Amino acid sequence: MRFVLLLACIVMLSGCEREERQLRLDPPVADALNKIRLMPIGIAGAPPEIYFALHRPYEANAYNLNQGKRLYAWFGCSSCHADGQGGTGPSFLDGWWLYGPEMVSIFASIRDGRPHGMPAFRDKMTADQIWQLAGYVQTIGAYSARTAAPSRNDDKQTRPAENRAPAAILFDQGPSPVHADQGPTP
Amino acid sequence: MTMESVVPPETSDAEIEGPRLEAVLADTWATAPGFWGALSTVDHKIIGRRYILTAFVFLALGGILAMLMRLQLAAPEARLIGADRYNQIFTMHGANMMFLFAVPVMEAMAVYLVPLMVGTRNIAFPRLNAFSYWIYLAGGLMLWIAFALDMGPDVGWFAYVPLSGPQYGAGKRADIWAQMITFTEVSALAVSVEIVVTVFKQRAPGMTLDRIPLFVWSMLITSFLVIMAMPAIMIASSTLILDRLVGTHFYNPAEGGDVLLWQHLFWFFGHPEVYIIFLPAVGMVSTLTATFARRPVFGYLALVMALIATGILAFGLWVHHMFVTGLPRLGESFFTASSMAIAIPAGVQIFCWIATLWDGKPQFKTPLLFVIGFIVTFVIGGLTGVMVASVPFDTQVHDTYFVVAHFHYVLIGGAVFPLLGGIYYWFPKITGRMMSERLGIWTFWLIFIGFNLTFFPMHILGLEGMPRRIYTYQPDLPWHGLNLFVSTSAAILASGFLLFFIDALRSARVGEPSGPNPWHAPTLEWATASPPPSYNFARIPVVNGRYSLWEQPNELAVADGLRVDRRELVVTSLAAADPEARESSPRNSIWPFWAAIATTVTLIWSIFSPWAVVWGPIPVAVALIGWFWPKRVPEDEA
Repeated sequence: MRFVLLLACIVMLSGCEREERQLRLDPPVADALNKIRLMPIGIAGAPPEIYFALHRPYEANAYNLNQGKRLYAWFGCSSCHADGQGGTGPSFLDGWWLYGPEMVSIFASIRDGRPHGMPAFRDKMTADQIWQLAGYVQTIGAYSARTAAPSRNDDKQTRPAENRAPAAILFDQGPSPVHADQGPTP
Repeated sequence: MTMESVVPPETSDAEIEGPRLEAVLADTWATAPGFWGALSTVDHKIIGRRYILTAFVFLALGGILAMLMRLQLAAPEARLIGADRYNQIFTMHGANMMFLFAVPVMEAMAVYLVPLMVGTRNIAFPRLNAFSYWIYLAGGLMLWIAFALDMGPDVGWFAYVPLSGPQYGAGKRADIWAQMITFTEVSALAVSVEIVVTVFKQRAPGMTLDRIPLFVWSMLITSFLVIMAMPAIMIASSTLILDRLVGTHFYNPAEGGDVLLWQHLFWFFGHPEVYIIFLPAVGMVSTLTATFARRPVFGYLALVMALIATGILAFGLWVHHMFVTGLPRLGESFFTASSMAIAIPAGVQIFCWIATLWDGKPQFKTPLLFVIGFIVTFVIGGLTGVMVASVPFDTQVHDTYFVVAHFHYVLIGGAVFPLLGGIYYWFPKITGRMMSERLGIWTFWLIFIGFNLTFFPMHILGLEGMPRRIYTYQPDLPWHGLNLFVSTSAAILASGFLLFFIDALRSARVGEPSGPNPWHAPTLEWATASPPPSYNFARIPVVNGRYSLWEQPNELAVADGLRVDRRELVVTSLAAADPEARESSPRNSIWPFWAAIATTVTLIWSIFSPWAVVWGPIPVAVALIGWFWPKRVPEDEA
């Protein structure tokens, strides 16, 4: 009986956080979310403490991921990255992460920009919007499907939806390892 | 095996007398005591009682949601409930009331009453009946647990795409709605099939088609409506889940899908749904009117024909929910005409009831009060129905509180009032105790006055432009006063329902014992004890007219020749109800419960992963094999 109760509590907790919708963050929380600590090379690092206190809300929360998808369209990400296939910008769908797949790296890429044309969005988006977008971008290159990830758009279909883990389906290493110069394949 | 081929002397009811017969039958039809006995029973009365009770629990929960909405809307810019929670609350209120209360409670009344009214011992396919209850319960629990987890659907009770589709319906909220539909569909379809077979093949000998009680007629037609309407919504909800989960394109115009397809599929079910709720209520009204007017109902044939006409027309007017979607003119005109045409059978029925009351000697007991409340309220709701059937008017009031007022008038006035009357009427049959007449009158007036004060001003709010589904409004809009009035009146309405619940709970324990037929009613359910024994009738009644207990007041003609050592009932011919065969009726079984659990796991799992459809059916199949496996009981013989 105690086990059943415990299980019910776990289910309820995960359910709550997966579907919760925080429409507007408290300003101090939003401010704290901006304080990531990045490695000196600009790749990887630690998210702010509050990110863990909030139970990593931008990776597994359905509403945030869905908002990220809308921000992806609204801020014109597809003009360089297409629907994840890449164009003038790198692809996400190939499951290859130039700066690593961690949330902080993606967050930093969006907020501060990257060399060779990735602009900085720190003055165009709020911190929590950048987190939402980063979470969404991570799902495009995901290898395991997340049930909280968004599904297809009401558009022409160009690739499997995010909740089908498109990278796992589309990643193609080719006849020889493609990125041998950059380390092991993912 | 050889033992059973010799029929022992004490196996025919013709050879045993009175108390001994009842004891043997009670043993054959018994529900085992204890927890597992309760889970495995197939007695239609126990299952019907559970169904009714569960549906009323959902009514109370839905009512609490309604009161929360009224609290929030009582003042402008109220901060009680946020927008997101409010979206969930109005969706839950609608979905809960339509799918977990209104349809199941009518089916539940039929599960309890139809076998008694046609004079048989159990409903057809009793194990399917048990299964349908568990599925219904599971669907309701899923919806409410999801709501408690902040995962309740938030897309309106009809979940239009693209709002509920993959792009805009974030998370699993819309899937919960769609899968709840699947649960209630499965249970409603199961009950409908049982009722059709019970009415067609298990009527008491002599109960020809023109002697069927009107409530049974109405449930027969309702069951056909369910069988024909529900597949549409099943396709709709399944394709919605497919769109959302595996990225099909049924509702994606860019890939050749169609957004409007959703509305057609939904309302092709959704409009008959209104009559699925209303027709049983009509049957109850006809039953109650006859009993309390102390005369046969006026225009039996006209009433049956009106039921059938409503049932057929119900499938020809779904598009009037879609007048503002920009349909071709001809289509709009056609559906305006058909929507107005449905007023004809409704009018015929109203005239028949008034004529019955006019010519009879009406006894104004609580059930009849609810019938009269129904006639008044339903006529008002019907009039606004004719108004919104016209395209120009509908275009003005679409998605405003006018529509909210209209459908609460027809649903509460048209279905809940007769249902409450029906509960007061059949409560002594179900519990063996009377509900309080004094509290009943209070309940009626509180509900009737509270209802009209709550919902009539909503017409005006709608005409003033207040949209549906808003979680708050600005103070400078002219809606404040009326909204406060509506919210206050809703408290009166709620107190009426509270009184009803208190009365029902109290009377079930300490109400005055009723005896078999407290109302001197004419139909067969009153020919047995209250509450009825597990076998319903010690001997199957034989029917010579429409009102058996009025026509044969002293002793009812009965048939014998059934075996008593196994569950057996009479199968009769469809039209003339001539006895055709003795048929066995399945014993209690735990397998419907396990089958329901396995189905529940499959359905909920399939919200999250398509693999559920591959692996989930295996335990379902195992449960079904257990269900149908021969147990070497006498019932297996034929």
